[in-house]
Amino acid sequence: MRLAGDSEVSTLETPIGPATGRPPFLSQLHEWVTTVDHKKLGSMYVVCGIIYMIIAGLEASMMRWQLAWPGQTVLTPEEFNRLFTMHGTTMVFFVGMPILLGSANIMIPLMIGARDLAFPRLNAFGFWLFLFGSILLYFSYFGGQGLYGMGSAPDVGWFAYAPLTERTYSRGHSTDYWILGIFVAGIGSTATGINFIATILGMRCRGMTLMKMPLFVWIMLVDAILIVIALPPLAAAQIMLLFDRLLGAHFFDAQAGGSALLWQNLFWFFGHPEVYILILPAFAYVTEIIPVFSRKVIFGYPLMVAATVAIGFISLGVWVHHMFSVGLSPLINAIFMASTMLVGVPTGIKMFNWTATMIGGKIRFDTPMLFSIGFLCQFLMGGLTGIFLATVPFDWQVSDSYFVVGHFHYVLFGGLIFGILAATFYWYPKVTGRMMSETLGKWQFWLLIIGFNMTFGAMHVSGLLGMPRRIYTYQTERGWDLWNLLTSIGVIFQIAAFTLFAINLLHSAFKGRRAGDDPWDAWTLEWSTTSPPPAHNFDEDPVVYSRRPLWDLKHPEDPDWKYE
Amino acid sequence: MTEPTHTKNIREIELPQPTASPMVTAFGFTLMVAGIVTNWIVAIVGCVIMFVGIVKWFGQSNPESKEMPAVPAPKPTPIVPRVDGVAHLISDSGHRARLPLAIHPYSAGIVGGLLGGVVMALVAVGWSLAMHGSLWYTVNLLAGCMLSDFAEQTTEQLYAFQTAGIIVGVMIQLVMSVSVGLLYGVVMPLLPRLHLLFAAILIPLMWSGLTWASISVINPALSEHINWLWFVISQISFGIVTGWWIIRSEKVSTMQNWHYLERMGIDSPGVRKMGEAE
Ligand SMILES: [Cu+2]
Repeated sequence: MRLAGDSEVSTLETPIGPATGRPPFLSQLHEWVTTVDHKKLGSMYVVCGIIYMIIAGLEASMMRWQLAWPGQTVLTPEEFNRLFTMHGTTMVFFVGMPILLGSANIMIPLMIGARDLAFPRLNAFGFWLFLFGSILLYFSYFGGQGLYGMGSAPDVGWFAYAPLTERTYSRGHSTDYWILGIFVAGIGSTATGINFIATILGMRCRGMTLMKMPLFVWIMLVDAILIVIALPPLAAAQIMLLFDRLLGAHFFDAQAGGSALLWQNLFWFFGHPEVYILILPAFAYVTEIIPVFSRKVIFGYPLMVAATVAIGFISLGVWVHHMFSVGLSPLINAIFMASTMLVGVPTGIKMFNWTATMIGGKIRFDTPMLFSIGFLCQFLMGGLTGIFLATVPFDWQVSDSYFVVGHFHYVLFGGLIFGILAATFYWYPKVTGRMMSETLGKWQFWLLIIGFNMTFGAMHVSGLLGMPRRIYTYQTERGWDLWNLLTSIGVIFQIAAFTLFAINLLHSAFKGRRAGDDPWDAWTLEWSTTSPPPAHNFDEDPVVYSRRPLWDLKHPEDPDWKYE
Repeated sequence: MTEPTHTKNIREIELPQPTASPMVTAFGFTLMVAGIVTNWIVAIVGCVIMFVGIVKWFGQSNPESKEMPAVPAPKPTPIVPRVDGVAHLISDSGHRARLPLAIHPYSAGIVGGLLGGVVMALVAVGWSLAMHGSLWYTVNLLAGCMLSDFAEQTTEQLYAFQTAGIIVGVMIQLVMSVSVGLLYGVVMPLLPRLHLLFAAILIPLMWSGLTWASISVINPALSEHINWLWFVISQISFGIVTGWWIIRSEKVSTMQNWHYLERMGIDSPGVRKMGEAE
């Protein structure tokens, strides 16, 4: 959006003369609803994702209130089941997905010097499918029980294991809402994934060969390919489940000759790549941020590309590690244990490359960098417990315990959410034209570091002490009291941190310091245009000669293309 | 007024016009799907809305999309070249330090790893023969890494020859020896000094410590029966042989600090010859 005070060119004659002053609310709304601009659609994705993050965070907080002490009665068991289902589903499909799609939406065209995505209208279609799909899911709170009267949300867990999802066990329509809401949003994500691939392969500016693309774009390319491969099997499985529930089919009904294990295979064939679909964007963010704030070029660019492709490839062949405890043959378990450990190699390469980029650099500890470092440390811990869990005998001990819950929150919260926060602080000036407050950002960072590690670190202990996930309460003699209390106290710090974040986002949008075009002294193309960028992104088509086009412009005596 | 070139340029840029049809289509589709869980009338309404959206959408994109010219915007601040020089990390190898400049060949790591693996196996099997009178005991214990049912076997069963045990055991030893050997080859040039000490003593000790901490998880069979002194001795024998083999191999230069033309093997004036010192 153009700001009123900036229209110094408004005297220019154009067919649809730019507005002077802020247009009325309705026409602004109309502008947003009908837009096909990748930056506006991207911003809407991110804003919706953040709103859902607050909702899903509040759902988690209610669960932690219930579990803070043994024997609490804040929530009924039914309410608890709905909350953990909605928390997981929302975080994966309506927080992680929209923020990754939104950030890629905004940044890919700007980074490759294009005017928009390849299919702008399809892009709008994808966004609206996501939004309406998510509304459909939350509508279940009012309409979920169908014939049974009052509403209820789905309560089958975010991976909705058969046969609990069959009509016999899940009455009413709540599970149907889960299926349909995600199905609708999934079509949108697949369309957008195809859009990204077409854009990246076909719309790069002059001089930007594949090996001169910013790593952000590379990682998003692999991510889009994973989306296109992994989401259709989920849609297929959901349609099969719908057939079971509504038309009397028996795909997942073991008593009638179906297979409950088939659901697990189909779901995790989507579900594990999905985890990588979610974490790869975090890799993309920190891969752009760390070099800029270390004042050094990224270490091992070709290796980073290779590692990204390898992660994408391997992540398609590890899904059975979610099913170690169902009693498959030792051979299958061994194969998938080995393939899962293999993911550690390219991921380790990335960790080394990020640290190697920082070593010897001139590090600036601004908020984006702080969150990136937080990402490095916490994602490392999540990755290491992941290696534990990939070991079959260990997995047998702690499967479905709070250890697993702790592990994946280190990956998806300590990894993805920290990455998202780093990216928000880094690109907010580009999108809005104003800086976010560094002071509030640093307060948020430290509060979150404390709260996060308190909450999810303690979960590892309660898990090792045998506490299963998804229980709505527990007895006091189990020895889990202290760890649960710690986990719940951590939430208070996190709420404080995210409150600061919300204040920072809103306040900076109106009162933040003007950013200028290139506040971080960065190197990729998005910083060569205005903040916020005009609808057409660049007045002239950019031409690049190296991976850091802005460096070349700033340092003509020592340009990068001499070394690449 | 902005300068005319700017205006002319901007006029040539066309952008797709805003349109509600994707939103209408998405809304119709969602309603259609929602009809399944609400009422069939909702589905019909959704169907109609979706159809309207699709027709509008097609009308806008075929055969000629409706485009609109871009609106001129404030120009970005031009990027000014900096006059100050750039500090390089290592002045003589370009501003990207790529170290090390000479490494042991990968083949030395692989062969060294294989040799070390053989010697280590000899030590371990020798121990099992001397102390337990069984050739297969250590092999079966090692195979317990992957064959989880070995954890439940009795000592007598572990003494006996088992086909699965020997296949898996040899496989593990082979893969581990080659990979660790390769790692040795890559890591050793990075160490400042005392290469053999690192290779023969320190790395095997660290590896043994790591194994000690994680053995009950990775290999319950081995953790029950292991003799730590002999474990460390077999690791050290691997370290000595592999390290010695790698150190005596001749280093090859990595071309990391060569000019692109040199790497391509192009001979031209002003470019030094292949491998020539700077
Ligand atoms: Cu997984």
